[in-house]
Formats: sequence, structure tokens, C-alpha cells
Amino acid sequence: MPVQMPDINLVTMLPEILIAILGLVLLLMSAGQDAERGRKVNAMALAGVIAAAALTVVTANGSSFGGFFVVDPFARAMKLLMLLATGMVLYMSMEYMRDQKFDGGEYQVMTLMALLGGMIMASAGDFVVLYMGLELMSLSIYVLAAWRRDDVRSNEAGLKYFVLGSMASGFLLYGISLIYGTTGTTLFTGVATALSHGHISTATIMGVVMVLAGMSFKVAAAPFHMWAPDVYEGAPTSVTAFMAVLPKIAAFAAIFRVLLIAFPALQSHWNPLLQLLAVASLAVGAIAAIGQTNIKRMLAYSSIGHVGFILLGLTAHTGLGYQSVVAYLAIYIFMSVGAFAIILLLNKAGVGDEIEDYKGLGHKRPMLALLMALFMFSMAGIPPLAGFMGKLYVFMAAVQSGMMMLAVAGVLFSAIGAFYYLRIVKFMYFDQPAEGAFGMELDFSARAILTVTGVVMLVWGLFPGALLSWSGASVKMFQ
Amino acid sequence: MVADLVFYLFAAVTVAAALGVITSRNQVHSVLFLILAFFTTAGLFVLLKAEFLAALLVIVYMGAVAVLFLFVVMMLDVDFESLRAGVKEHLPMGLFVGAVILAEFAFILSGVHVDEAVQTNAANIPNTQLIGQVLYTKYLFPFEIASLVLLVALIGAVVLTLRKRKDAKRQHIPSQIARTRDEAVELVKVAPGQGA
Amino acid sequence: MLENYFPILVFLAMAIGMAVVMQVLSFLLGPRKPDAKKVTQYECGFSPLSAVRIPFDVRFYLIAILFVVFDIEAAFLFPWAVAFKQLGMIGFVEMILFLLVLLVGYAYVWKKGALEWD
Repeated sequence: MPVQMPDINLVTMLPEILIAILGLVLLLMSAGQDAERGRKVNAMALAGVIAAAALTVVTANGSSFGGFFVVDPFARAMKLLMLLATGMVLYMSMEYMRDQKFDGGEYQVMTLMALLGGMIMASAGDFVVLYMGLELMSLSIYVLAAWRRDDVRSNEAGLKYFVLGSMASGFLLYGISLIYGTTGTTLFTGVATALSHGHISTATIMGVVMVLAGMSFKVAAAPFHMWAPDVYEGAPTSVTAFMAVLPKIAAFAAIFRVLLIAFPALQSHWNPLLQLLAVASLAVGAIAAIGQTNIKRMLAYSSIGHVGFILLGLTAHTGLGYQSVVAYLAIYIFMSVGAFAIILLLNKAGVGDEIEDYKGLGHKRPMLALLMALFMFSMAGIPPLAGFMGKLYVFMAAVQSGMMMLAVAGVLFSAIGAFYYLRIVKFMYFDQPAEGAFGMELDFSARAILTVTGVVMLVWGLFPGALLSWSGASVKMFQ
Repeated sequence: MVADLVFYLFAAVTVAAALGVITSRNQVHSVLFLILAFFTTAGLFVLLKAEFLAALLVIVYMGAVAVLFLFVVMMLDVDFESLRAGVKEHLPMGLFVGAVILAEFAFILSGVHVDEAVQTNAANIPNTQLIGQVLYTKYLFPFEIASLVLLVALIGAVVLTLRKRKDAKRQHIPSQIARTRDEAVELVKVAPGQGA
Repeated sequence: MLENYFPILVFLAMAIGMAVVMQVLSFLLGPRKPDAKKVTQYECGFSPLSAVRIPFDVRFYLIAILFVVFDIEAAFLFPWAVAFKQLGMIGFVEMILFLLVLLVGYAYVWKKGALEWD
């Protein structure tokens, strides 16, 4: 029997190939004896991420491996966000990594592999590819979370993430097998065709539910969020910053692809689930964060809340809704990276992760406190900052498609959530600092990241036009 | 007829072994039960004429994964009796979740219609070859990603568990080969009665 | 096709049967007179002083993981080898790529000294 080779179109996947080869080269470098290799590996990784971003912009639409790998405006946008987030996190953690003796080189390799997995997920046109990308990303991040191997909490973070993540992968895989079993294909477009004519069996619907459950775990949407606070708290801060951004973008990209390309026919089945996830995430993000005393835990709950908003935008199923999701993701990256950059900086100076430790930051380091306040206000959704714009467009989309109750719930929980963001601001400005606290120096990378993220908060808050037109263009294909 | 009998035999042993995994007091016994479950599952695959999967189960799962489990069980210094103490309280919750999943299975199976076309293997090609013809053509891309996943597992294991002992004596082959007589041996003339 | 496995089934049945018969026979025929001293556990004539199970070295884990990874790599080779004729040149190249990635991993592991036992 002759075999049919799929069309192999390597040009469409140049960014991925670059990252993969770079990862292999850096791995070989990290096995070397060179004491300065950490710095070199970091510089090369950063250069590679920038080059991959440039390649991503110029790659044309197309597909490879018989539709298994797809490049379209949406995939490009998501990959750009991922590259941006990874680049920023790598850049800002350089000093931190040197302090923590993370600079053997493997750390960057794992980061790049996670990024590669995420990029593959964003371009997946097939369930098997989606699963492999997800595993590549998750496996790398499990290892990164446990990186500080002599620290019990870091170990706990890695182990907890791994055990629960494997279970989520199991769900996902089981769902995929049900979908394959009932439709006879793993290709997204093939599944859509099979479902558009032909009866839809309960097994397919169960498959969709399982896939959605698995993906919800990855974005930490309630009620699949249990792991997030512990893992965020226990992992090294540079890793927490990374996993607050990359897996979320990747998993949302995958959710978009699966639901809108493979299962448009089942929208009446999965949309109520999405709404449930959205409301639950909003509630958990707003209410459970209030009692937190650890800032990383608090940001974990805050990220659950943001996931709720993003899901809310997705449930609207209008052009505006999809657009608001992409815009919100972009804004979320900058808010999150900015806030974590400050935590990282303070960590390096020996300041702990407790919110109490931030007492009096406003008196000692007014600029840092101002920026922290900026990110907190933005997360709370206070105008005229970018976070407000993100929420505004989500609410507009929800109202436009007649989901009045959900929009009201969103506003309500957003108001409750504002409380705990403001609490940090209160600690920073209305309490006295401890003797000799906050005596660190700002290195160039920290200044650069904080300047960029801070400026973005203001610019996107005041002039959201460019962001909106970009996000609008990236989701045009789903309408 | 014989095949049916063998199927029920293997299936029954699989279920019993799986129960053994979660109920036996000794963790090592649990792993041995797991190996038995893998083995009988391999038997079930043979009955389905999926010989390659059966071989895979024996080679990878019984040969490697089970050994890994055994190592891990022996490595962990965990007081299993204390872990067991919580079982009574968690049993109702566990049974509930199990019941839900069972109901789900029943629900799914009730709605499945089996597509006969999927089952045929008209040319009677060995299934290892069939898998090869699909895996390395249609599923080429996921296959290549698999190599990266394996690589990440490898790096992760090294990074998280490799500890270099400072006091260990290691081979350093180039310097061992480059050693000359002069630096290795010192000839000392010892006067009688002066040796210490 | 399934008939080909009949000898294996018979073989399996005999192996299990022999083991069971021998166990049962020794259970039935062997004299057993247990008493308190006989069934008490001991080490060198004393009651055990501590738990006898000591944890394994973590290095076993590393070896086992490396074995699993390369075992899976080998498992991928079987269907490839069987279908090699049909796959042609592309099949050859793709497997070389796959092996190359793992070869980089192997070089890394070797250079790191993870294959040494110290």
C-alpha cells in the first residue's frame, strides 16, 4: 500500500523551527563549563525570541502537514503575545536568576520549550497537535515551578501542578478520544464537517465537555483553579510571572480554535458551560482574594478573576466579544508582567511576599510605589488605565449580545475585586516602612520593563485605538 | 468461543489487579498488581488484534514505567500507615466521584453507534506496519514534537535530581592517559634505619 | 490470526498452573506447627530496632527516567522499521531528525555527568 505524505510547508513554521533549534543549541551550551554561560544563554534566548517575533510578523497565512499546523491572523497575534510575554519575563528576570543561581542555562531552555509548546497550541489545527503542544508547555512549566529544588514550597508547587495537570491532561485526552471515536477524525475542520451533517451523539458532547474541562484547568478558570494559589505562591517569582502569562494565552488560543473551528455546531451546548466558568471565575477571583495576605497568592486569585472577564468576552460570540478577548489578553500581559517585575525587584532586595512587607513603600521608593499603584488600579479597572478599557469592551460585548445579567455580575465582582487591589495601595502609602527596608538598586532591565509596562498602561488606557484595530483584525476570521 | 473465554478471563484479572493496586497495604505489592494489570491489558490488546500496542505495553509500561514506579515507591520515605488514616473520611467523596464517572461512562456508551468502517483492515496488513504508515506520514508533526517532549522530560529529570557529590573520586580520562611516569612515581633512596 | 497465539495461551496456562499447583501442594502437604516464637519477626536474634525499609537513593530515579525516555525512543523505531519501505526518503529524514533531538539530550546528559555513578 503506497503511503500519502502530507504537504510539508516549513516556511509557515519558521518561528517554531527557530525556537526549537535555539533550544537545542542552548541546551548543549548549558552542559558546558563556562561560568559566564548563563549570561550568554540569556542573551541568545532573548535575541531568539525577538527574531522569532519578527519572523512571526512576516510569515504568510498558510498551513502545513495537511492542516495540522495552521498560520492565520489569529495564530500570529497569539504567538506575538506569547513571544512578547516570554521576552519580557526573560529580560526582567536576568538579575534575579543570577542571584538565585538559576543561570546554568537550562532554565532558559525550559522557558523556550514552554514557549514553543504554547506557539504550537496557537497554531494547532488538530487535536493531537494541540495535545502535544500542551504537554510540551506544561511539562516545561512543571519543572520550572519546582526549580528551587531544596525549597519545600517550590517542590510542592511543582508536584501539585504536575499531579493535577496530569489529571487535566487525562480529561483532555479522554475527551479527544471520544471526539475521534464519534467523528472519525482529529482534524478541527474535519470534526466541524462531520458534525455539520450527521447526527450529534452524546459521546461527542461529552468529549467537548472533557476537552473544555482540561483547557479550563490550564487557564485556571474556576472551578478548576484549586492549584493556582499554591503553585503561584510556591514557585520562584520569575516562574510565577511566566506562568501567569504564557499558559493563559496559549490555552485561550486553543479554546478559541477548538470551540470556534471544530465545534461551532455545538455552540448551544458549550456556551452555557463557558458562562458558568466565567461567573465562577469572576466570583472566586473577587471574593477569595480578599482574605489573602501573600501577594503572589493574591495575584493568583486576581488572575482567576481576569480569566473570568476573558471568558465573559468569549461567551458574547460577536466580533466585539472576540476582539475584547484578544485586547484583554494583551492588556493583562502588561499589567501582570509589570506587577511581577516589582515583586521580583523587591524579592531580590530581600523583601518577602507578604502584603504587609510592602508597608511604606510609597515613602521610601515613591516611583516604584506609584508604578505598583498604577498596575493595581489598572487590574481593578479604574479609568483612565488600560485595565479599564479591557473591562469596558468586555462589558460592551456582553450587553450587546443581550447578556445583561452576566454583565451586571461582572461589574459587581469587579467592584468587590477593587477592594483588595486598593488594600495594597493603602499599605504602600498609609503605613510607615520598617527600618532600612527597600534599599535595592534598580538595574537597567528593571527600569526598562517597568517603563514600558507603565507607559503601556497609560497609552492603551487613553488611546486604545491601535490596540483595538489590531485585535479586531486578528479575530476577523471567526466572524 | 475460546477467544471470548480468554477475554473474560483477562478482563476479570485486570479488574481484580486494579482493585489490588488501590487496596493492598504494601506499596510494592501495589506496583506488582499494576504490572499484572498492564500484562492482562496487553492480553486484551492481542485479542483486539492490536499486537503492536500489546508489545508496547509490555516493553514500555511493564519494562520501564513499572520499574520507575517501583524505584519511586522505594525511594520515598513516607509513612504509608499515616497516609492511610485519612481513607475512611475521604471514602464517601471518592465513591461519589467514582459513581459520577461510572454514570458518565454509561451515559456515553448508551449514545454510541459504532461505525463499522473503522474496524476493517481489508488488506490484512500487520498492524505495526499500519501504525507506521500513519504515524510517520499523517501524524508526522506530532511525532516530531514528541521528541521535544521526551527531551524536556530528560532535562527535567537531570535538573531536578542530579546532585554532584563533592567528595567522590571521578575518572578524568584525558589526564589519566596523559599521566607520565615522572609525576606518578617518586623514587626515594632510603638509608637503612632512617625510614619512617 | 488469533490462532497463532494459542500456543502462548497454553504456555501461559501451564506456567500459572504449575505455580499454583506447587503452592497448593506444599500448603496442603507441608507440616506446619506455628508457635509464638516461630512467627515473631526478628533480626539477628533481636526484635527489629527500626523500620527495615530504608529509602533508595534518588539517583536510581534518574537512571530509571533516562531508561524510560530512551525506551520510548526505541518503541518509536519498531513501526518505522516495519513500514520503512513504504515511507521512503522522507521517512528516513524524519526519523533522523527525531533521533537528532534525542541525541542532543543524550549529549547533554553525558556531559552533565548524569550517567556516572558516584
